[in-house]
Amino acid sequence: MNLEKIYDKNYKKLLLIPLILLALSIIFLAVNYARTGSVIERDVSLKGGISMTIEKEGLNEEEISSFLNSRYDDINVRVLTDLSTRKNIGLIIESSDVEEEQIKGTLREKVEFADEQYSAESYSATFSESFYKQLIMVLVFAFILMALVVAVTFRTFIPSLAVILAAITDIIVTLAIISLFGFQISAGGITAFLLVIGYSIDTDILLTTKLLKRKIGTLYERLGQSIKTGLTMTITSISAVFVGYLFSAASVLKEIFLIIFIALIIDIISTYLGNASILLWYIKKKK
Amino acid sequence: MKIKNLFTMRIFILVLFILISLLAIHPVSDKEGVAIRSVETNSSAAFAGMTVPQNAQPTSYERILEINSQKISSLDDYSRAIEANEEKLVITTDRRTYTLLNQNVGITVDKPASNNILRGLELQGGTRALISPTEKLTEQQYQDLVDTMENRLNVYGIKQLILKRASDFEGNKYIIVELAGATKDEVKELIGKQGKFEAKIGDEIVFNGGEKDVTFVCRNDGTCSGIRSCNEVQGGYQCQFEFQIKLSEAAAERQADVTRNMDVNVSEQGYQYLEKPLDLYLDNNSVDSLNIAADLKGKAARDIVISGPGVGATQEEALEDANDKMKKLQTVLITGALPTSLEIVKLDSISPTLGSTFEKNALTAALFAILAVAVVIFIRYRKLKISLPMIFISLSEALITLGILTMMKYNLDLAAIAGIIAAVGTGVDDQIVITDEILSKESMNWRERYKKAFFIIFIAYLTAVVSMIPLLMAGVGLLKGFALSTIIGVTIGVFVTRPAYAHIIKVLLNE
Repeated sequence: MNLEKIYDKNYKKLLLIPLILLALSIIFLAVNYARTGSVIERDVSLKGGISMTIEKEGLNEEEISSFLNSRYDDINVRVLTDLSTRKNIGLIIESSDVEEEQIKGTLREKVEFADEQYSAESYSATFSESFYKQLIMVLVFAFILMALVVAVTFRTFIPSLAVILAAITDIIVTLAIISLFGFQISAGGITAFLLVIGYSIDTDILLTTKLLKRKIGTLYERLGQSIKTGLTMTITSISAVFVGYLFSAASVLKEIFLIIFIALIIDIISTYLGNASILLWYIKKKK
Repeated sequence: MKIKNLFTMRIFILVLFILISLLAIHPVSDKEGVAIRSVETNSSAAFAGMTVPQNAQPTSYERILEINSQKISSLDDYSRAIEANEEKLVITTDRRTYTLLNQNVGITVDKPASNNILRGLELQGGTRALISPTEKLTEQQYQDLVDTMENRLNVYGIKQLILKRASDFEGNKYIIVELAGATKDEVKELIGKQGKFEAKIGDEIVFNGGEKDVTFVCRNDGTCSGIRSCNEVQGGYQCQFEFQIKLSEAAAERQADVTRNMDVNVSEQGYQYLEKPLDLYLDNNSVDSLNIAADLKGKAARDIVISGPGVGATQEEALEDANDKMKKLQTVLITGALPTSLEIVKLDSISPTLGSTFEKNALTAALFAILAVAVVIFIRYRKLKISLPMIFISLSEALITLGILTMMKYNLDLAAIAGIIAAVGTGVDDQIVITDEILSKESMNWRERYKKAFFIIFIAYLTAVVSMIPLLMAGVGLLKGFALSTIIGVTIGVFVTRPAYAHIIKVLLNE
């Protein structure tokens, strides 16, 4: 069987791929941290500031961005799109240091908008800082609890570790990719990583159960079955979040979908090259 | 035979859950008129017998269908009818007919709801403030703070407000205020500030806001409260507001003591005043300074007139400013100061149109996502017998989760919608596991295959739930909706919909 050919001789080499990916990501994030003091770039919800939404069709993003930035520093302008109608339905303007009223006033020189078209969210810096720390704690707690469930379920060291390693890979590599593309992460984005834990784990559990607990069929037949089932799961989820990403207007939803989308692609590598290879190694050693 | 095999306990439970959810969500097609959301006490609507029951479901609000035989089908129609200056209003609702004077009507109306799902701030628009006290509070002070705030918003006339206490991991205490109708500035003024009112003569405080010192505040009554004069001043207009208050005996005595030994000055116009005026301060800012008539010297006068200016570029603006300031001052005089000064740490205002854009959009996005799932599933299995039940189960999972959130009176926000989508996504994954196990030739025994699938599903379920639990408690609950809807969704999935799915697939494939 083809699968056997690929895995039987090469599983140690295959394992290197997710490990190298993980190592590169850790180095990248560490350099980031050393340079900027933060692992990833945070948006105003996590570092304090103001986010305004003007809901008006046909505003020119570049023009307004350069206009505002000629007056103030560090103002971030994004387009709000409704992809089901493929229309630019407004602008999102974010800033960490400039006051809301100031920006609003300046903006009114250039654009006319009614109060009904205006929405704003503001965050105090101290609150956002503590909010951020708490969310990181949430992520760490969630991870520990997940690891406990996995450890209790499989009660063997190496296979449990393999599952947990796959989840770590998904999270760290996704963080690095997000950071590489210069995306700012929001509170909603961090919660997306909680979902990444969930989505990442189920294919690993499927794989581990099939390889370790089932006795019918050869090892590679069982591996083949779990790859088939697992890939169906992952591809379905990938297409769902991809479509979700394309069609949602709210930036929180967009961000959540994008993070899960990236993480699921990484999950294919971490599960079938990483976790599967470790399990094969473990099974062969035991024999 | 096949149809009959479908009806087992599992299917029965699924159908029951779907029905209960539909009942809770209660979609209605009859949406004529405008819904009565609240009725003020002592208004002519209240006298006519109109009431809004506490905890009414959105779809059960009484609806106004006609006013003075004019059909009312929109909010515009309603305000036109009220402003038509008819002396009497004959209001026909979907329940009965009321006749009331067109004066201080006191009804707040809204578009009729099409279902009972409660929309959170992000979906319906409004203002939300997260407020943190600047000092450590005792439990009693914390409660006082919440009560005073609620009272203040009520006195000010803001209805449809949600005020809840919140705390976080680090033990910080917060108050979350959500208002559908108010503007951001009103919220900032009313609850972002302590509202400490002081009336001083010299350095002596004569009285503060609150019922201990001020026993009565005149408002909404032209005979003892209102705008008294408007004048053109440098750079615009100034209007003077005035309203009467009644002091408690103790406060009046204090005033008598302070003024007893004062000298009397005579003004240019020949009026006699005490040497020091009565200075009014709100949060340490001067509001006005009132001269005290000489004949009040050493007297315990209980009736006092409070006044202050409003300014603006035009007379209209000055009038509006004076009215706003008067209303705020009256409110803090009635309710007193909050026990501590406050800081607004997060302030959101979402416009209603943006809210409804988000809502519609989230729905389309979810539908397209489910469609995408259907396509992938069909490509993989090439059987409608598998993909149709899967879509049906996914939709019912979303429906039941929504139903439960509605029963919990949870205000649906974007985070909760994301959670529902996530739960449905995990659901599809589990259904794929079930399908593959059932299709596999591993074991002849159906029950065994089913058990194997559920082992995997159950572990995945446990990890999903435990990874959401910390979020339930963190970050003042701002993202609680996400954790809550995910947990509800996956729980319903594991215990209700997936067993039903496994059964449906088994029956359909076992032809």
